[in-house]
Amino acid sequence: MATATPKASVHGAAFEPLSTAFAQNPYPAYAALRDKGEPQFFPDFGMWLVARFDDVAAIARDNSIVRSPEFFMSHEEIEAEKRAQNWHDMPHHSRFVQFSMLDSDGEVHDRLRKQVFREFTPAFVARQRGMIQSFVDKLVDGLIDKGEIDFVEDLAAQVPGHIIGRVLGVPDEDCPQLRVWSENVVKFFDIDRNDERKTTAEKATTEFYHYLQKLMAERRAAPQEDLITRLIAAQDAGHLNEDELVSTCMLILMAGHGSTIDVLGSGMHALLRFPDQMERLRNDPGLIHTAIQEMFRFESPLPFFHRYSTTDCVVGGKAFARGTKFGLLYGAANRDPAAFGDDAGSFDVGRNPNRHLAFGGGAHFCLGNHLARLDMEVIFTTLIKRLKSISLAEAEPQYKPGLSVRGPKALRLALTPA
Amino acid sequence: MYRVTFVDADGKARELTANAGQSVMSVAVANGIDQILAECGGSCACGTCHCYVDDSWTGKLPAPDDSEQGMIECLMNPTERSRLTCQLKMSASLDGLVVHLPREQY
Repeated sequence: MATATPKASVHGAAFEPLSTAFAQNPYPAYAALRDKGEPQFFPDFGMWLVARFDDVAAIARDNSIVRSPEFFMSHEEIEAEKRAQNWHDMPHHSRFVQFSMLDSDGEVHDRLRKQVFREFTPAFVARQRGMIQSFVDKLVDGLIDKGEIDFVEDLAAQVPGHIIGRVLGVPDEDCPQLRVWSENVVKFFDIDRNDERKTTAEKATTEFYHYLQKLMAERRAAPQEDLITRLIAAQDAGHLNEDELVSTCMLILMAGHGSTIDVLGSGMHALLRFPDQMERLRNDPGLIHTAIQEMFRFESPLPFFHRYSTTDCVVGGKAFARGTKFGLLYGAANRDPAAFGDDAGSFDVGRNPNRHLAFGGGAHFCLGNHLARLDMEVIFTTLIKRLKSISLAEAEPQYKPGLSVRGPKALRLALTPA
Repeated sequence: MYRVTFVDADGKARELTANAGQSVMSVAVANGIDQILAECGGSCACGTCHCYVDDSWTGKLPAPDDSEQGMIECLMNPTERSRLTCQLKMSASLDGLVVHLPREQY
């Protein structure tokens, strides 16, 4: 099979993921990439961008296309690649963040996922509804008469981290600090990484590690009904080692913070941009499940993930060699008219079926999807019930820059209680 | 070609054809059986392709492996007839299979 060589550069006017224009509306750029048909080379990251739904779904679900390069690269090659990407000289980040369930495949991934999946399954998550509802009720009590709020900071950012913290066993009062560490670690994943962010990410990982060491020691001394206690038991039974335990806790806490906050913000913004859909949901609260599903499709909060091929393969009709790095654009795939019809660009709270890829696919399918959806269901249902009107109190909310995340930085709302 | 019948929560049945080796999940998705969400695409990772195998098929299917069994125990309303359709592959011995669909997957 012929090896594909970089020919078409997408870097330029058509694709500038760090631009303000892209942050505010990435969808014309995504549509242009889909229209190219075959994957396009993105030289900044040395990867091929995949934008069409069918191609993204096929790669995400293909077990031969993996997250970790260790299946086809030597240790020395991986270290060289890390230096090229400025991932090196970060001892704690390398130990607990660069290694994780997310960046493992095969036996290691499946073994780690098996240790934690129960807490994130439909039945377990459904049992958290009362806890989430009382947490949200209390927050809304404090906000409802304020007149104007920043929905992102005052409400969205306060919920998912606390809920995931309770599932794991982190005391409520520590959650704000965990959010800061999570954000400082995650920021380094975007394409505009620099040395300052690198130092911040390593420092945050180190402090996070020392915190988890202390929490684990406490749970060892006095076990509780929480995930961290269960993971310590799994460690004692030989199912995972201490570094894997720390890495898994960090991954769960980080994953539980950012993306749900982002999609809460963009989902609320979508309801305000399309008032007929807000009205539809108000008149028929039973649409909440399809509405949330649509929020994830319409503004996928994690629009980009990478994969490496471990065999020669064909994507979008083009041949690629073993070891090719692909950038899966979930945000582009989820607006593909070939999968969602001519109204793929419309926000439809009743869309069904809605088989989007916002949670990824295959073995790495988002572990926390049910918990994220329940957080969102409780928040939107509560706000719609307790507020007569919700309106936007700023002209144009600004979205976070970059390719890796999508969500508004802030969302000023005017509230009128029912 | 083999036959598989999906019966929804209201008792409405649809008989569909399947190729050898095709999963019951992919038959459902390809034919617009919307109660099978199958969000992960068939990796036993999401628990949204749950079905109840018809009583007439009790004991006739290969037993679920550890990962399928672990997931089934954590679904909404599991019973001893619960299976993940992504893990059921059509073959001569499953020809004519009847599965019942839950009203909601989660």
